[in-house]
Amino acid sequence: MAKIKICGICRKEDVRYVNSALPDYIGFVFAPSKRRVTHAQAAELRSLLDSRIIPVGVFVNAPIDEIAELYKSGVIQIAQLHGGENADYIRKLKDVCNVPIIQALRRGCGDSICDLADYVLFDSSKGGTGTPFDLGDVVNTVPHLKALLDLRGFFSSDKAEDEGLPSQVKEDNAVRRKKDRKDTMVLSAEQYMCDKPWFLAGGIDAGNIDTALSAAPYAVDCSSGAETDGVKDETKIHALTERVRNEAKRLNKGRFGQFGGQYIPETLMSAVLELEREYLKYKNDSEFTAELNELLAQYAGRPSRLYYAEKMTRDLGGAKIYLKREDLNHTGSHKLNNVLGQILLAKKMGKTRVIAETGAGQHGVATATVAALMDMECEIFMGKEDTERQALNVYRMELLGAKVNAVTSGTATLKDAVNATMREWAARMNDTHYVLGSVMGPHPFPTIVRDFQAVISREIKEQLLSKEGRLPDAVLACVGGGSNAIGSFYEFIKDETVALIGCEAAGKGVDTPQNAATIANGRTGVFHGMKSLFCQDDFGQIAPVYSISAGLDYPGIGPEHADLFETGRASYVAVTDDEAVDAFEYLSRTEGIIPAIESAHAVAYARKLAPTMDKDKIMVVTVSGRGDKDVAAIARYRGIDVHE
Amino acid sequence: MSRITDAFKDKRVFIPFITGGDPDIETTEKLVRVLAKAGAGVIEIGIPFSDPVAEGEVIQAADERALKAGCTVDKLFSMVTRLREDVTTPLLFMTYYNAIFGYGTERFIEKCVQCGIDGLIVPDLPFEEMGELLAPAHEGGIEVISLIAPTSDERIDTIARQSEGFLYCVSSLGVTGVRGQLGGLAKHMVERAKRVTATPCAVGFGVSNAEQAAEIAKFADGVIVGSAIVRLVAEYKTASEQPVFDFAKGIVEAIS
Repeated sequence: MAKIKICGICRKEDVRYVNSALPDYIGFVFAPSKRRVTHAQAAELRSLLDSRIIPVGVFVNAPIDEIAELYKSGVIQIAQLHGGENADYIRKLKDVCNVPIIQALRRGCGDSICDLADYVLFDSSKGGTGTPFDLGDVVNTVPHLKALLDLRGFFSSDKAEDEGLPSQVKEDNAVRRKKDRKDTMVLSAEQYMCDKPWFLAGGIDAGNIDTALSAAPYAVDCSSGAETDGVKDETKIHALTERVRNEAKRLNKGRFGQFGGQYIPETLMSAVLELEREYLKYKNDSEFTAELNELLAQYAGRPSRLYYAEKMTRDLGGAKIYLKREDLNHTGSHKLNNVLGQILLAKKMGKTRVIAETGAGQHGVATATVAALMDMECEIFMGKEDTERQALNVYRMELLGAKVNAVTSGTATLKDAVNATMREWAARMNDTHYVLGSVMGPHPFPTIVRDFQAVISREIKEQLLSKEGRLPDAVLACVGGGSNAIGSFYEFIKDETVALIGCEAAGKGVDTPQNAATIANGRTGVFHGMKSLFCQDDFGQIAPVYSISAGLDYPGIGPEHADLFETGRASYVAVTDDEAVDAFEYLSRTEGIIPAIESAHAVAYARKLAPTMDKDKIMVVTVSGRGDKDVAAIARYRGIDVHE
Repeated sequence: MSRITDAFKDKRVFIPFITGGDPDIETTEKLVRVLAKAGAGVIEIGIPFSDPVAEGEVIQAADERALKAGCTVDKLFSMVTRLREDVTTPLLFMTYYNAIFGYGTERFIEKCVQCGIDGLIVPDLPFEEMGELLAPAHEGGIEVISLIAPTSDERIDTIARQSEGFLYCVSSLGVTGVRGQLGGLAKHMVERAKRVTATPCAVGFGVSNAEQAAEIAKFADGVIVGSAIVRLVAEYKTASEQPVFDFAKGIVEAIS
């Protein structure tokens, strides 16, 4: 949410204009300039200024007493320093009046200035080097602002490191660093990033303000861009202020078409914004990626096998069927891919505790597992109904050191577990990360979870290219929230020849009240932080859903799936309990693989689809998890009383 | 000036919340009258929602009771129409966005205008997403109340600046519910918001008795009390008029 400062206010009309437009800050220039004001003029203008606008005094090497006097008399609330002020000067100024400071950065001003100032200002028109460069230059580099400044010699952070070394070594070091930085600027820019809120100034006008805002500054500083013929222009001030305001309300954050967004209580906003910031910081960080890849290989056991199901292929007599064996992951499902990524991220963020919702218990078990591995405190929220359906998984999580909370509110299933986890997060976000288990919830979760699950389709593509030398014709996966499905689809979205098919839970039938078929029966709504498709009644109340599979028993679907459906890129089919149980038994007997009842939904549709396809076609079915957890429930479904 | 903001003129305002349709519509209707009589300046009526993520256990349970008893938004629209025959206190609906979106946002606003609702509080619609409700709401002259939380930090400036009606200051982390102690967070938030806005600031989440209300009234323009009242309704059910009146009267006196 960028702010805006209108600088160079020097006439009564100017004050009238800003009072109606209400920018966040205005600037009085006390240094030589055509917009310079005297103390008396500033005081008078200040008395006319709307109290909601913060007045900033702009100075170049002014006597400390002058700034202090203006601050103490209330004419200014912030001092913006543009001259050769050094750390010593700022300390003295802070001693005298503790005025908040915006420091314009210049060549050689050093890190300490950045530390002492409350804000920094980056003037893209001059940059302090004497070489003009344009906004585009900044925007391409930001958020690596400090790296850019560093390259241009703004900082002298190497001094301490070099202290006491012979001058020749210092010089060599300087040359080497300069070269290193140029080479590695993009990769390691984050470590140079300036952590102070920063103003972007320099020729910002209606024509380039969008570019300026896309650099995500704390505030934009406009002066000449708000003028016509050298004086402030009311229309321009209004237009620029409006533009900044609307930017904050832009509806494109974390959107997949019309779906997605951040529909969550204000109490949670700071947590998701922090997560977004940190994720952007780490997602391309080479160290983070290396650590995660190591964990995926050594701990999870990736890559998972792409297994040619020869008997099944022969039996169905159509397309060649490959099974993507996510059931072979440690903990027995695809859930671990996302959990390893998220908990590693949480660890980097300095969190010491993780919480998660779980339906069937797969995600809860994965979270408890990685929490044990990474020494994190762990609490799992699970609908009471599910704790009974999946008692063994509850014990498993406890065995791993997690605390399991049975949620009794609402329908006591997965959606209520999500509610409970969100409430817990809102109450305790300082040390706690919410490991959301599917591609749902508020931005950035659908993106983060998808990125961590995309390893599935990356592997499928690579494995199939090496086995068959071509892409598959169809990829099938079961869909609840949709994480294993999006993971299986993602790399193929741009390959239009690959049919992407999600299999959702029809329970006792899509026409009965007992189903969880969101695509078949849902409509657009807003729930659990996202705009997507949901099973709901005429009044927008979220409908109770049902499926034999606790993992698909969810009234919504991830926003990216909603978009893939709406745009026609993916199709979704509904599979009943009966069909899924049949497929559960079929795969067990045909291939000796007991799939999770969730994954059995995809297998069920594969049985229908494969015979309709030619023998030279290739189909990949993701077996998202193993079925050991379901054996007792399936036995009961068949009327056999098995005790776990 | 809006009717909501007007209620804050020259006085500290008590803003009670009750869940619509708990235990039934008739009782809610009586309670709104009783709260107005006790001196409430603005009254919030919750439209019960299946999944109220910002609520603590007390209001969650009230929502479940109300939905089980058959409360719908249509019944609440009719109730407000009846109330408007004699009640002039500004009335707000508090609900989750899907209850509005699922009903059809424009149709919902139209009904609000017809029955005499003054404003909306939608806890799962933060500043960034509020645009899609604001436009139709403003067309009907309905105000949308913004919330700020202790963790909002510098978001406070932006949100407060564009607030209308009153600014709902969430006093503590977590969900609604009765709390023994309220930290100094609320005071700090109100002070920060007041630097940039003239919109009245009301504090809610966890206020449960007259002493706390009086404490808050020292720095805020309004005091919001929800769970403590809903708890009384849960206890006395259809006979909760008198206990709610007495409680409300106590708060009004404490902050006057």
